[in-house]
Amino acid sequence: MSFLQPILLAALPLMALPILIHLINQRRFQTIRWAAMMFLLAANRMSRGYAKLRQWLIMFFRMLAIAGLIFAISRPLASGWLGITAGGRADTTIILLDRSPSMRQQSPGTVASKLETGRQQLVNTLNILGSSRWVLIESTTNVAHDLESPDALLKLPSCEPASASADLPAMLQAARDYVQANKSGRTEIWICSDIRQNDWNAESGRWQTLRDSFLEFAQGVRFHLLAYPQIASGNTSVRVTEVRRVQTADSAELLVSLKLTREGNADAADASLRASVPIHFEIEGARSEVVVEMTAAQFELKDHRIPIERSRERGWGKVSIQADANPADNDFYFVFDQPTLRQTVIVADDPQAARPLQLSAEISPDPNNRGTAEVIGVEQLGTVEWDKTSLLLWQAPLPDADAAKTVQAFVDRGGQVIFFPPKSPSSDEFAGVKWQTWTESPDGIPVETWRGDQDLLAHTQSGAALPVGQLEIRKFCGITGEQTPLASLKGGAPLLARVTSNRGGVYFCATTPALGDSSLATNGVVLYVLVQRALASGAAVLGNTRQVVAGDPAGFAGENPATWQKLAGSNDSLSTDFAFHAGVYNAGEKLFAVNRALAEDHATALPDSRVTDLFKGLDFARVDDQAGNIAALIQEIWRLFLACMMVALIVEAALCLPKLPVGGNVPLAHNPVGT
Amino acid sequence: MFADRQPRSFLDTSVLSRLAAVPLMSRRPMQGNVSGRHASPHRGASVEFAEYRKYVPGDDLRRLDWRAYGRSDRFYVKEFEADTNLRCCLVVDTSGSMDFGSTGITKIEYARKIAGSLGYLAVQQGDAVGLSCVANGIVRSVPPKRNAAHLMTVFDVLEQAKPQGETQLVSVLHELAETIRQRALIVIISDFFVEPDLLRGCFQHLRFRKHDISAFQLLDPQELGFTFRRPMRFIDMEGGPAVFAEPNDIADRYQKALQQHLARMKQVVLESAIDYHKVIIDENYEHVLMRFLVQRTQSKGVR
Repeated sequence: MSFLQPILLAALPLMALPILIHLINQRRFQTIRWAAMMFLLAANRMSRGYAKLRQWLIMFFRMLAIAGLIFAISRPLASGWLGITAGGRADTTIILLDRSPSMRQQSPGTVASKLETGRQQLVNTLNILGSSRWVLIESTTNVAHDLESPDALLKLPSCEPASASADLPAMLQAARDYVQANKSGRTEIWICSDIRQNDWNAESGRWQTLRDSFLEFAQGVRFHLLAYPQIASGNTSVRVTEVRRVQTADSAELLVSLKLTREGNADAADASLRASVPIHFEIEGARSEVVVEMTAAQFELKDHRIPIERSRERGWGKVSIQADANPADNDFYFVFDQPTLRQTVIVADDPQAARPLQLSAEISPDPNNRGTAEVIGVEQLGTVEWDKTSLLLWQAPLPDADAAKTVQAFVDRGGQVIFFPPKSPSSDEFAGVKWQTWTESPDGIPVETWRGDQDLLAHTQSGAALPVGQLEIRKFCGITGEQTPLASLKGGAPLLARVTSNRGGVYFCATTPALGDSSLATNGVVLYVLVQRALASGAAVLGNTRQVVAGDPAGFAGENPATWQKLAGSNDSLSTDFAFHAGVYNAGEKLFAVNRALAEDHATALPDSRVTDLFKGLDFARVDDQAGNIAALIQEIWRLFLACMMVALIVEAALCLPKLPVGGNVPLAHNPVGT
Repeated sequence: MFADRQPRSFLDTSVLSRLAAVPLMSRRPMQGNVSGRHASPHRGASVEFAEYRKYVPGDDLRRLDWRAYGRSDRFYVKEFEADTNLRCCLVVDTSGSMDFGSTGITKIEYARKIAGSLGYLAVQQGDAVGLSCVANGIVRSVPPKRNAAHLMTVFDVLEQAKPQGETQLVSVLHELAETIRQRALIVIISDFFVEPDLLRGCFQHLRFRKHDISAFQLLDPQELGFTFRRPMRFIDMEGGPAVFAEPNDIADRYQKALQQHLARMKQVVLESAIDYHKVIIDENYEHVLMRFLVQRTQSKGVR
């Protein structure tokens, strides 16, 4: 229990008043000379059980009455928020609001989402507690805004649900910066979140830094977590995995692949998972429906064909499923376009190596979309149309100053580069990585490990592994610098490594497809897949349509979402916030489909112990609420204490009543009796 | 009687004159030495026929009933009851507890009034009056005599009696039972703050000596009511340890102890055939004495 006026609790020692009065009364005794001592002594010898108990009870109820009064005027709060206000009113109250799609989840039987319930609870609670300053940090922008009062939480558009995931460490960082910059006094930080793992990013190293920096604040920062950790069992989400426009002789079709994921126990009996799910497709306003039978926790629909007008080369669409516990993951927007030209530039100093690369790049898997590959020398870099290039294959000494700038700009735009080792490695480096010397092994070095779960060497869509293990590497060049190996040779040397970059992709392959170097050319599957995947990634950025993850700044590079026009999506979003709301937007010729992050479909709540660990050492209190809860988190209960006081007084009065005369024991004084 | 003397504070002539209308009677035959108005265990010369008795040589021929002889040809002597005076022994408790009084009069003053009035009434009808002041022993003792001058001595002793010391009523009563000659009227005036079971022995001892016993138990209204409000320190008037008590706390148990005592007392006096009077000292003593005298008149004459 906590109190709004805890200072008044200092009056609690007044509870001792009845004892004090009793003691004073004891000292105010009268003395009398008494004849009938034998009765007094007999009375003293008698059992004092009930009489003594009655005296104690009277004393107890008097003390209880005083305690009740003091507690009542201290304005107690009934809540699980232990120690909310010990120390009085907060100077600054910072509200961290998680607006991620999972916060739109509803509890069975209620219409209020977690976010709505959380906002309402915060308004109720904070209005009672009071503060000098209110600050809101919501999860899309992570910027602190001053609020006039907590009531604004119910009205502000920036408190409405968004499609962007939250980044709790970044929000806390913003809160810390605010406290530091404004030198606020005693600060309360209220976090309203469903503690999903992807939002909290508990493994991030930032938490330790945040903890340390909050501990440094001398004024004291208290954390309150209003948590909604319930998982909606049975909630189904839909996600479009691929959209392709194919053109036949007399018509055009859209091939849509999508995935349905149902939350809950994946091991549950089939009967409970079996359900018919109608899927609605909307292509530029034209609707169609297909009903699928879900028999497991996941369902994939591959290449569902939707005929479209032959003349429609680009456009947008939407996939929806019926309403369930979380409306935020029932829609998915997509855009489609003519496949872009898959143009590759090859810079090579070894024609033997260049030819296999050129072939791999030119032969497109899609007969309607041919690829081109141009082999040039380093000196011809200036003539390349970088705006139309998707992939750069570089088999030459690493680019020097000017060339490096050109390549870096290409990568920053979203282009893909794969470096192959030159015949004579130079000391130049690119992105902190450089070639070492060649190592030869005529017997061939086998590939020991490779990443089959993601990136260029990932398994095929059917789940089969690429035949990377069959490659024979006869010569390879060492790689030094910060990189992530995707495939390693026996002995630990990397065969293919990725270098960290903000956008685009930078890869280093330790050997060339030249016949004397490796079997990459003769055993061409791996090389072909590798080049085509890199090419596809580079081409995806070039197109006029783009799938964007809401709130992901990388997806909007070079764009200004504020200038977008909305084609489809929620009507609640502000035009300045389109980047954070699912929908389809156009900017000039470009189409953007904004959707929630993939992690939102697999969201799991962070375990309680993990949350406690994150706030270890900090002043932290947590309460679990659930969506649609209408009971206030805290409420003033002074009436209860006042009632207690009155009851105590009544009981005390009843105990103080003199005993009713029994039989003939009384008025002896005026009832002379003879024998 | 009081012409040349100071009036006694404990005597009221108007009360005495009213009380004198009712004789002080004994409930049992008395053995006086002069003729009086009380029944005697012996035959005498009163006008009240008692019985016929066979003539034995030596009897006075004048008392022979010739009519009976004429009817039965046998000699009978006609006998009459004897009337005698009584010895009234007043036993006044002068222990410390008798100094208590919350209504303007103490128990000892009340006892003086009762004892003084009874003494006067007894002497006036020709009975002998004696006085024993008792506390932790017999403090003062005046043997019973029936002249007026002796009464003055009794009054003097009464007047001088000071309440002090512990009550040793039980041992004192046993002692008196042995020392007072048989067949006397013994009037005990005390608060009887003694275990009633102990008193039972005393009373039976006195009855064995064929005394007629009357007991006045003097109680103060405050002792009965125990109506205190503030914490009190009770100091024993007989020198015992003081007791500190919260009246609200102890009142019910005090009352219980008191009622138990009174009930046992009542049982003891019934079993011992004692003429017992519980007197609350705010009551007019004239009424008490009048009730006492009238009751005795009704129960007199058992020979």
